[in-house]
Amino acid sequence: MKKLKADKTRFLAVLAVIGPGIIAASAGNDSGGISTYSVAGARYGYKMLWMMVLMTPAFVIIQEMAGRMGAVTGKGFSALIRERFGVRPTFLAMLLLLGSTAATTVAEFAGVAAAMELFGVSRLLSVPIAAAIVWLLVVRGSYRNVEKVLLALSSVFVAYVVSAFMAKPDWMAVSQALVVPSVVPEAGFVALAIGLTGTTIAPWMQFLVQSNIVDKGTSIKEWRIARFDVMAGALVANVVAIFIIITTGAVLHPAGIAITDARQAAEALAPLAGSYATILFAIGLLAASVLSAAVLPLTASYAICEAFGWESGLDRNWSEAPVFNGLYTFVIFTAAATILIPGLDLIAIMLVSQVVNGMMLPFLLLFMMVIISDRRVMGRYVNGAVHNVLAWGTIVIAISLTVLLLGMTILGYG
Amino acid sequence: MYYLTRMLGKPVLDAAGETVGTISDVAIATGEVFPRVTSLAFLGPDKTPFMLSWRKYVAEIDDEHVMLNSERAGLRFSYLQPDEILLHRDLLNKQIVDTQGMKVVRVNDLKLSESRNQLRLLGAEVGIRGILRGLAPWLERAAERIARVFGTGIPENLIAWNYMDLLDRDLSHVQLSVTHKRLHELHPADVADVLEQLSAAQRARVFEHLDNTQAALAVAELEDEYQADVIDDLGSQRASDILEMMDPDDAADVIGDLPYDKAEALLRLMGVEESGTIRRLLGYREKTAGGIMTPEVTTVTEEMSLEQVIAHLREEAEDTESIYYIYVVEGDMHLTGVISLRDLVISEPHTLVSDIVSRDVFNVGVEDDQEDVAELMSKYDLLAMPVVDETGKLLGIVTVDDALDVLEEESAEDLALATGASRSFETSDAWSWLGRKSGWVTVWAVLGVLASLLISRFTNTLESAIALVFFIPLVIRLAEEISSHSLAMLIEAGDPEDRPPFMRRLFVDVLVGIGLGLVSGLLAFGMLEALGEPLDTSVVVAGSVGGTVLATTAIGTLVPYLALKKDGSGWRAPSVLFSTGLAVIGLAVYLLLATYLKSTIRF
Repeated sequence: MKKLKADKTRFLAVLAVIGPGIIAASAGNDSGGISTYSVAGARYGYKMLWMMVLMTPAFVIIQEMAGRMGAVTGKGFSALIRERFGVRPTFLAMLLLLGSTAATTVAEFAGVAAAMELFGVSRLLSVPIAAAIVWLLVVRGSYRNVEKVLLALSSVFVAYVVSAFMAKPDWMAVSQALVVPSVVPEAGFVALAIGLTGTTIAPWMQFLVQSNIVDKGTSIKEWRIARFDVMAGALVANVVAIFIIITTGAVLHPAGIAITDARQAAEALAPLAGSYATILFAIGLLAASVLSAAVLPLTASYAICEAFGWESGLDRNWSEAPVFNGLYTFVIFTAAATILIPGLDLIAIMLVSQVVNGMMLPFLLLFMMVIISDRRVMGRYVNGAVHNVLAWGTIVIAISLTVLLLGMTILGYG
Repeated sequence: MYYLTRMLGKPVLDAAGETVGTISDVAIATGEVFPRVTSLAFLGPDKTPFMLSWRKYVAEIDDEHVMLNSERAGLRFSYLQPDEILLHRDLLNKQIVDTQGMKVVRVNDLKLSESRNQLRLLGAEVGIRGILRGLAPWLERAAERIARVFGTGIPENLIAWNYMDLLDRDLSHVQLSVTHKRLHELHPADVADVLEQLSAAQRARVFEHLDNTQAALAVAELEDEYQADVIDDLGSQRASDILEMMDPDDAADVIGDLPYDKAEALLRLMGVEESGTIRRLLGYREKTAGGIMTPEVTTVTEEMSLEQVIAHLREEAEDTESIYYIYVVEGDMHLTGVISLRDLVISEPHTLVSDIVSRDVFNVGVEDDQEDVAELMSKYDLLAMPVVDETGKLLGIVTVDDALDVLEEESAEDLALATGASRSFETSDAWSWLGRKSGWVTVWAVLGVLASLLISRFTNTLESAIALVFFIPLVIRLAEEISSHSLAMLIEAGDPEDRPPFMRRLFVDVLVGIGLGLVSGLLAFGMLEALGEPLDTSVVVAGSVGGTVLATTAIGTLVPYLALKKDGSGWRAPSVLFSTGLAVIGLAVYLLLATYLKSTIRF
């Protein structure tokens, strides 16, 4: 009886902290994510589902590792890289982070442009205005107030779960695809696999999770509970992603639609929303894009300044923290300006940014693995065997995929 | 001059000139202003670490290697002593507190100097030079050369050992220098500056090293947004102890920002008297005299003699913030007059208060705006201002330090509104000036490119009615004019409560916009007709000009209005961004409108 009660208390404690993590991770399903998952389903049906199943535990564990490093050391990921490796490797890591962030921010503005074009608004108008709004949200620090509204709006993507059931897919085929690996031997498939990895386990998300834990001042004791939140968030985000692939695989793939613009991607919600599918999709895409476009440059700015010892913080003005303010301003406005290049294919931009992420991921994970195995840094909270196997597996697979793609491209295959 | 990053990896040669290993670290003895290097750590064959006494074995050192005075066989290895720290392992790349500049920085390199075969640590390099040198020495040289072209240099940013405080307290077993100026010797305002730059965990670590008095002073000096966080992170008992030691008005400020449960818990842990005072203060609205006053005030009655007054002051001085004015009350704290410390000192001890009291006493109501209170105090050079309720009952005083904070806050808001930057006009060096300026030049350039991109997208429209081009400068110029006008209006209006309500503002602006739009549209139309343009072109161009003027006016006056928070802060963008941005928006509206009109209007 006593044990039961203890279990119940524990269960309640877990429930109390779950929530923010789930919401935060579903924000990770940003414009790059939605487009990559949609294209994966539309182009290859259920053939990529098994990868998502493999990636889910890896993602959950990598997020847990990032959070644990934050809780044990009280320092951000970039600070740990600097203190463990010195200036040169840090410079490389920060270049990777900046590249990954900038590419993804471009994708976010592509998301804004695509969403607003569904409402019939030209990107020449929507993107500059969105950039100005995002920048104002960041400098005023008020994105935290808007955050919840945007998160709520972007959670319309949960509609994919319902839509998947209403599309009446062949559940036998789906469950088979979930466990039996299948590949299509062409460069497009490999590139999309890299993009899938990059968007699911986005490099910047590890920096974000760790700095959130550090900012909250979570101690290693509180981490025992807080990690359920982080892990549950990662899990839920991936379940939604899997349902996006199922939906697009069931609705768009049989129709032979390969998704070249957002309107086609929105069609996947038609079984649920009918003629309102476009509006539903556009609202979700817009909210997710604006939110991420504000969070991403800020994350990179914080991390880079922490690594090099420059002052940072939204309360510091331009003369106190020139690099900090300059970095996110630069990222926001160059990303927005990129979208204004005439004749840009928005879906392609979103996909390419995720492939870039996927190629950079293993290198940042290498840094993470060395640090988290170092007893001088982590004490007795170094990685266990399961963590090591999954994380190293991810690194090896991600690198081989990139090498494979390069090889195929050079040999002109596929 | 030696730099640690350049020494690392250089070969260690024995007396016979044979390589015995490569330098991996050097240890210093703490306890001196410029600590001596005491040990040399190097990696031998198979990366085996060794350590040698510097004094005993190092014969000479130059840029390329370290030469020992003995052959390999004669070396006796040593161990790290308790008072030694390793520069590479413990300091390089780590965060430290610069107790002189009151900043948290990262150690990019360590500078050493040689004198009579002894190597001493000069300090930690925390500037950009250290980063460049660490990346590649040629980068540092290249950057220096480029800087020289621009007639400046890259200054070295060195922090001497005695101005460092180590953040990672796992080094706490190390006995630091006796002259070491540590965090707790800094002025509380400086400690607060440092605390604001740390993460929650690091802040907690620093707080462990401050006693309650120091902590209370530092918390009082923190910016508002950090105060609640810091108190929230401390244990409840410690937090309430610290709050109890603060001036009640400061403590009330902090508690007011905490979540209700936490605030209640802390108040209950405090003494009855303190918590009662704070609860009363919490009842007053923010940004009023009541919100910034302290209830601790020294009062006397008219029938007391000055001797008695002085005795009374001695008793109470401990608890009160300000005793420059002694307020005279009657009955239930009803304010009737004031005597100054000066009157008190120069008059005979047996004089009665009623003989020297000045009945003409300034006072403010508890609901008065804090800015008005501060301005009154500044105008009449008062060190304290009594606050009374509507019946004239003395509730407390606003002291000069709180008034200064208010003035600083308000002027910072105005200044930030105008420039988007610099709360303080420190003399900044050329680099940061360039960085700051070029930051905005970048933004400006990006927006400029945006504008050209815009124009290039609309070549069709422009070609079909070339007269449209005539008015592009007008559209841009107008946007700049409007933005500077509306910013000026906002700054003048100052207090958000003085600004007209939103709907009225909207109405007026739209009205003004329509008027301006009509006038400029008609002017454009007249001019084009005079030039002999076809009627449809004139209509299209005049319509676009008029519509754009209307839109720009509305956007230009409303955006800064909306961007400001309720409390008037938050507009950080310099006016250059705003005006250029508005110009781009104006241009976009102009071109879109022209395209639309062109396609619909046919005569």
